[in-house]
Amino acid sequence: MPQLNPAPWLSILVFSWFVFLFVIPPKVLNHSFMNEPAPQSAEKPKFNPWNWPWY
Amino acid sequence: MMLNFFDQFMSPVLLGIPLIALALLLPWILFPNPAARWINNRLITLQGWSISQTTHQLFTPLNQGGHKWATLLISLMIFLISLNLLGLLPYTFTPTTQLSLNMAFAVPLWLATVIVGLRNQPTIALGHLLPEGTPLPLIPVLIIIETISLFIRPLALGVRLTANLTAGHLLIQLIATAVFVLLPLMPTVAILTASVLFLLTLLEVAVAMIQAYVFILLLSLYLQENV
Repeated sequence: MPQLNPAPWLSILVFSWFVFLFVIPPKVLNHSFMNEPAPQSAEKPKFNPWNWPWY
Repeated sequence: MMLNFFDQFMSPVLLGIPLIALALLLPWILFPNPAARWINNRLITLQGWSISQTTHQLFTPLNQGGHKWATLLISLMIFLISLNLLGLLPYTFTPTTQLSLNMAFAVPLWLATVIVGLRNQPTIALGHLLPEGTPLPLIPVLIIIETISLFIRPLALGVRLTANLTAGHLLIQLIATAVFVLLPLMPTVAILTASVLFLLTLLEVAVAMIQAYVFILLLSLYLQENV
């Protein structure tokens, strides 16, 4: 079986790991995912107005 | 010189350039980089959806420590699925039929899961070598058996993928040759064989995707034990 010929094994290892480490992860990581749109809750959240000065 | 069906697996070289380099570099053209937009085109949306679904499926059973492996395993998933599926097109070379490539991924990644386990939780990692509830006299034998099965894992991982894809490609070539030879002699039989070829190709599409997935799934299981 020609796959068992050990001559190109090192170059195949190096090249495939190069592609696996430097080509694919940037493409995968560039996908960004939006949050699901959530329905607005019935009660509005209580908030305190800002009443302390800038230091 | 006998017709040798294994010649399709020789790492092809054209004018001194190893074509496996092209086979490894070109598939990523099919995965465009998403732009910094909220809504992308259909292709990118579909790819992003499948990536997020796969990530969710694979990493729900894993604890937080295992989630660090997400980028690595999903990249590997994309790598294997694209190479497997593109190899089913005529006249393409499938790098994943090369044992060297599959072992190049199986051995380091398996070893990494083992080392992570032994470093962070050595007792639990070693405890996996003895299943619960083993009768006392069986313990030494079982530890030996479990150690052997632990060391066979990378070999099995690599060889499983290689063998499945090699066998699939060989079968396709054999049956296609049969159809081609039978066509002038017995056209009816040739048409029946062609329908077998069609079904086989559908099977190979499924096998391509499943085998890539199994590779990643098993790695995530080995990770689950160790993290």
